Amino acid sequence: MKFGPMILAAALVAVSGTAAAFDFGKLLEEGINQELNKKKPAQTAPDAAQSAATQPPAKQKIDAGQLGFALFGDYSPEEETRIGRQIAGNLLGAVPLVHDDRLQRYVNQVGEWVALQSGRKDITWHFGVLDTEDINAFAAPGGYVFVTKGLYRRLDNEAELAGVLAHEIAHVTKKHHLKVLKQSSLIGALGQAASSKAKGSDQVVQNLIGNGAEIMARSLDKNAEFEADRLGIVLAARAGYDPWGLPDVLQDLAGLPPKDSRTSLLFKTHPLPADRLAALGEAVGSRLDDVHGKDVAGRFYRIR
Amino acid sequence: MKRFKTLVAVLALGAAASALAAPGTVLRNDKLYSQPNAASPLAGSVAKGTSVNILAKQGGWLRVSAGRSTGWIRLLSVRAGAGGLGGAGLGDVVGAATRKSDPSRVVAVAGLRGLDDEDLKQAKFNAEELARLAAWQETPAAARSFAAQAGLKTAKVGELPAPQPAQSSSPWGGNE
Repeated sequence: MKFGPMILAAALVAVSGTAAAFDFGKLLEEGINQELNKKKPAQTAPDAAQSAATQPPAKQKIDAGQLGFALFGDYSPEEETRIGRQIAGNLLGAVPLVHDDRLQRYVNQVGEWVALQSGRKDITWHFGVLDTEDINAFAAPGGYVFVTKGLYRRLDNEAELAGVLAHEIAHVTKKHHLKVLKQSSLIGALGQAASSKAKGSDQVVQNLIGNGAEIMARSLDKNAEFEADRLGIVLAARAGYDPWGLPDVLQDLAGLPPKDSRTSLLFKTHPLPADRLAALGEAVGSRLDDVHGKDVAGRFYRIR
Repeated sequence: MKRFKTLVAVLALGAAASALAAPGTVLRNDKLYSQPNAASPLAGSVAKGTSVNILAKQGGWLRVSAGRSTGWIRLLSVRAGAGGLGGAGLGDVVGAATRKSDPSRVVAVAGLRGLDDEDLKQAKFNAEELARLAAWQETPAAARSFAAQAGLKTAKVGELPAPQPAQSSSPWGGNE
């Protein structure tokens, strides 16, 4: 992680390749470091975004605003929602929703309840079950959370559903995908700056996220997955659920044959279940010994 | 629980395993307790990599047998499935057995390929589906009442700190 910004900056220096390149590269490097290493983005975001965007060096050769979405500041809630909406819409172009209103409503009820424990009030959450036997779950910025029918079928109770949704909710609240976008968008930003005339249009968002919903096939940092597991357990527990729902699902996945095509994307983009269980074990220890939630098996909605 | 029972049945049918339990592998050195409770008397200990049989589950605990010892171990200290820490191994056997014995899964495995990179890359924005998604959105008030119906009560649970890595290694590996 530490050397990522250096490489990005170097790549941008190589692309621009003019006398101004050095300064710009340095500026980028500082900006990226500032953004990616920020400890409390929420508190400092507006100030940092404004001051970074109006820094004199940025005006000299390149208008930072031309690069599309704020490279130096945090994405605003509106930008986050637009990015998430585009990714979610594309994902639904690859695989539609299950046509079962009761199922979808149920998942939104559980998801909204768990998401309420996250403390992010600036988000409108959407939950959906995707009509594929593939075993996976997805999150996009701005509160879009999906679980596949293949994964849903393997669940035994509401606490397990809550655990899976909580892992995805954690990706959103921790802005894991936005961090990936911020890194990758820097590489393409210079090339796209010229072509993205209509700033603020969905084409700009699409340029940012690449082709279709391919960002959903990209791995997050391994530590982002472990973090989402830890926070996922906590969010489910805060919601009053048995905190072992997510670990139970990971146990189930650990028992699946490794070459099953239904899990190829999941295992390509996530650490193996055994590693996730082990990492959780280190983090949890005896900390949850006194947490006794409910598994709510009775009203768990089963797919016909 | 149900899942482990299924696995037991599958193993007995498909792989003709003699042990009536689901296999598991210990992920880290840990203790076995006589009850699913860290305050209960110790029943033994198991080392990382040990193969165990999972006999039962209760909350965050699994009842396992390892050699001559039987006791309760923390759920997160064991991974379900045999084959040791490497992961593969018996997984394929279990999978094959699952496919044979569970007709509902034959279709899933043989008939459909998984969602892959190309599907996602080629995907075109589907506004119609997105609108359907939005229609199912719940309000916080409705979610609260939904939770209350099941007797779900919020609990104060602090965030779990990231475990400290045992050893920090250079990102450049041995190539420096």
